Amino acid sequence: MPTKILSVDDSRTIRLIVGRSLRQYDCILCEAANGEEGLAAAAREKPDLILLDVTMPVMDGVTMLTKLKEDPELKAIPVIMLTAESGRDNVIHIARLGVRDYLVKPFKEDQLIEKISRNVTIKKKEAAPAAVAAPAA
Amino acid sequence: MPDVSNYQELSRRYGFAPKPESASRLTQLVSRQDSDLDEIAKVIDKDPALRKRLLRVANPDAENEVEYAVETVEDALMRNGMGCVLVLAMGTPLALALTKSFHTMLSLKLEDIDRNTADPLDGEHVLGTIGFSGKVDGRVYLRMNLASARAIAAGIIGISPDELTDPNEIKDAAGELLNIMTGNFKSNLCDAGLDCRLQAPEVNLSSDFHTPSVPGGGLERLAFRAGNIQLFVDVTANPWND
Repeated sequence: MPTKILSVDDSRTIRLIVGRSLRQYDCILCEAANGEEGLAAAAREKPDLILLDVTMPVMDGVTMLTKLKEDPELKAIPVIMLTAESGRDNVIHIARLGVRDYLVKPFKEDQLIEKISRNVTIKKKEAAPAAVAAPAA
Repeated sequence: MPDVSNYQELSRRYGFAPKPESASRLTQLVSRQDSDLDEIAKVIDKDPALRKRLLRVANPDAENEVEYAVETVEDALMRNGMGCVLVLAMGTPLALALTKSFHTMLSLKLEDIDRNTADPLDGEHVLGTIGFSGKVDGRVYLRMNLASARAIAAGIIGISPDELTDPNEIKDAAGELLNIMTGNFKSNLCDAGLDCRLQAPEVNLSSDFHTPSVPGGGLERLAFRAGNIQLFVDVTANPWND
């Protein structure tokens, strides 16, 4: 069964990079552009893992994480923060809320895959079988 | 389970890169309103890149070092005050984040260049701005020509510039670069007790950019180049707002 990952980031560019990083893996990627949409997507999709930005319009990532951890149905979903902010107080506050891991932007695709793999199982897609040439008439 | 109140332990666990020491030290010094200029001068003098940048900030109209009227770190600090030290401290993590973004997302080596050797940015170009407010108020301006913005967005997304047809993708990529740059220096400011919040980035086309005036604050004007891509970054800051 494919691993379901929810990417919550207001930047379409980052969501595209996440999608590109995962394209070789058997994953279903769901997307949300802010914390409010992210909470709704988490409740609807029940992802295996959430990648979460901090600074977003409407609802920021810290508020979303707080609400997620208050919800008995969603609190066990592992969350990896994906943000450019790594200030001491922010990191400690987020760690106390129960985040599983933290990746500072900019990041390499293999760093993201490594962080995801530490928290959920992702399998590489099997290579498509080589096309068989039609027999000569 | 990690000790979630221990930042050092969390940094190791999460694999954070070490923060540039001289910039962190400088930010801490600026955050104290009673800081000794001699102490700040010592930190800057120990770091040739910071020294060079401070003298560039202190001589904004000079075409090259021969034209510098302000030649020493002490003189530059006396004339320009803490605002200019703050933009120097902010510029280091900002430039590192930008260079790292180019390396990781575009596989390009971005180099800090002297603003006076950069090709001028004439006509309509992409202008991204992001403000921050709190104990420090300021703004970061990122400018580039359309070809550079297109090449950056296409490179990040992983397509050729010709395939990029949606102008929103160009804006979004420039906005994310701004977010990454400012997020990195905001962490430095907050760690030094200068708490501030980032505003949402704005990216538009402009042909009418004027160097911002920053009474009582600091302004640093940076330029970068990677192949045909050229970026201009202006940083303004006013410390000690309550």
